Amino acid sequence: MPGRHIAFQAAGAVADATGRLGQGLELEADYVVVGSGAGGSAAAITLQRGGFSTILIESGPWRDPEDYPSSMYGTMRDMFTDWGQLIATGDSIIPVVQAQLVGGTPVINSAIVVRTPGDVLQDWRDRLGLGDAFSERKIGDAQDKIEQQLKITQIPVDVLGPTTQRMLDGFQRVSIEGHIITRNVHDCQGSMQCLQGCRNRAKQTPNITWIPELMALGGHVLSCAPVHRVRVEKGQAVGVHGWFRHPENRSKGEAFSVRAKRGVLVAASATGSAPLLMRSGLDLPYLGQGWRAHPGAGVVGIYPDFMDMHKGPSQAAASIHHRLDVGIKMEHLSLPLELFAARVGGGGSVLMNKLEEYRHCAMWVTAVRAQAVGRLRHGWLGTRLHYVPTAEDLSRLRFGTKLLARMHFEAGAERVWHGVYGLKPEITKDELDLIDQAPLDNKAWTWVLSHLFGGCVLGTDPATSVVGPDLHVHGVRRLHVVDASAIPTTLGVNPQHTIMAMAMVTAQTIAG
Amino acid sequence: MPSLVHCALQSTFANSPQLPGIDHCDIDGFLHKFHQQAPLLIRAMLWVSALVFWATPLLTIGVPVPASWLSSDRRDLHAHRLAVHRSYLLRQSMLMIKTFGGLCWGADPAVRRVLHLDAYPADPGTWRT
Repeated sequence: MPGRHIAFQAAGAVADATGRLGQGLELEADYVVVGSGAGGSAAAITLQRGGFSTILIESGPWRDPEDYPSSMYGTMRDMFTDWGQLIATGDSIIPVVQAQLVGGTPVINSAIVVRTPGDVLQDWRDRLGLGDAFSERKIGDAQDKIEQQLKITQIPVDVLGPTTQRMLDGFQRVSIEGHIITRNVHDCQGSMQCLQGCRNRAKQTPNITWIPELMALGGHVLSCAPVHRVRVEKGQAVGVHGWFRHPENRSKGEAFSVRAKRGVLVAASATGSAPLLMRSGLDLPYLGQGWRAHPGAGVVGIYPDFMDMHKGPSQAAASIHHRLDVGIKMEHLSLPLELFAARVGGGGSVLMNKLEEYRHCAMWVTAVRAQAVGRLRHGWLGTRLHYVPTAEDLSRLRFGTKLLARMHFEAGAERVWHGVYGLKPEITKDELDLIDQAPLDNKAWTWVLSHLFGGCVLGTDPATSVVGPDLHVHGVRRLHVVDASAIPTTLGVNPQHTIMAMAMVTAQTIAG
Repeated sequence: MPSLVHCALQSTFANSPQLPGIDHCDIDGFLHKFHQQAPLLIRAMLWVSALVFWATPLLTIGVPVPASWLSSDRRDLHAHRLAVHRSYLLRQSMLMIKTFGGLCWGADPAVRRVLHLDAYPADPGTWRT
């Protein structure tokens, strides 16, 4: 029998078994999975396929592609976590990009799929002492399955936009590796809607793949249901508790309690899992620590011919040429006009004169495999993230910025906007070396944080980790963390595939 | 407060020879929707940024009057100098104005037509119940 989807329930709307209203929703399953993004959905479908009853709980609403917004205003309102108001603070202010809806951040990312690099898994095995918990074979087998299930393919050449073609040309001209991106997208039409959610249903996100399958197999889904705490009794996770929240007016709805007969898997994201465990009263010394990211910043090239960023996928070309020696990844990124307007320098007529050139602009970004380590805290004001990119991280970004600017010029750009405060805002090819003088000061750069890791990192020592090699929370039976928050290092590549594979491997182990 | 927000948005996204400025857009409709839907913290970020814009011509162009009293040319110069000011917090306040103003301006059909972009259909705002 197919499972049920239970969305927002107003306070007092749910009756108990005897028909009394206002008693709250009470459910029970073998496993409860908190969070429906890359990790949570992969774990939930694996458990349900293994014959265990599973309830998947998501704090945001379930939006189908027909419900997706077109504008960036609608995207912030309907998809971003609390309108994108979570920021990292330290010596500067850095926005954090995450989604809050059934399917999680994969709904609004560029669907980039990269296998976990072997050097990362080797480092975890040898330096962190994780043994074969996440061996290349186990992760590779899981990623084989994921690639088959999510129809992972390289972007067809005929949907590439001019900005991608120029970037591939730029890679070739400076003699570095560059490639067309592989994604969980089937039959892409190149409509540049990746960041707003693909209304063409081309992007194979959990809300249209694994989660409907979970329900077809009898699993249940709760949406608009932020979990307040994991219930732990006698050292064992026994369920979760929370209140529904209306997705528009955010009013508090009915209470819900879900009892887990076999265990609770937390996958509430790299900014959500650690705060949830803190709210649950877990006293773990490293909880919220070891938080990492790939912060990035963009470089805009202005070309004599039309680049028309709106043609083609949001991201379609990338390079990992300098992943190991410098610690950067380079990607093409086309932004909707609304976001682009905010990223371009200046104000008033200076800004508008630049925006007149939108059709001639191509934007490429450097994502830094940062050394910085941040921390998450949870207080009455909510979650706070402290994160300060280091001087070395800034140096890597400066290297990437100069290389991208050089590639723009080699590919035919007439001018470049690098976005660095303190430098001449627009440079020509002859002025490329000016970028070497860019200050190593976070306030001078316009960072954005994506690819988030940590907060509940895995390891063998409870003093420096939250979960063990099997992603089991130290000292609490039947409680696992199966999302990016468990990842103990940066990867240097997009993490979605790794998160899914780790969750799948862990769920397979749990399911026996 | 709405007049301060208007002043900041109109000065930041001014008319240009080829592009309509934000005053061609439905700013009132946008702000009404924004104030009804956005969380308090997000709304406060726009209000504070607009207040900073209004109060700081002395720091940018050396004129000790509110931005709303300036001529359009002076206000245009103020908008730009605030965006590139040496104070990080002042630059960040301008980034907020550009972010929220960009959501209004960049979605406007007339602006998008000039830039050969398709007009957006209405955002459904729906979800599975």
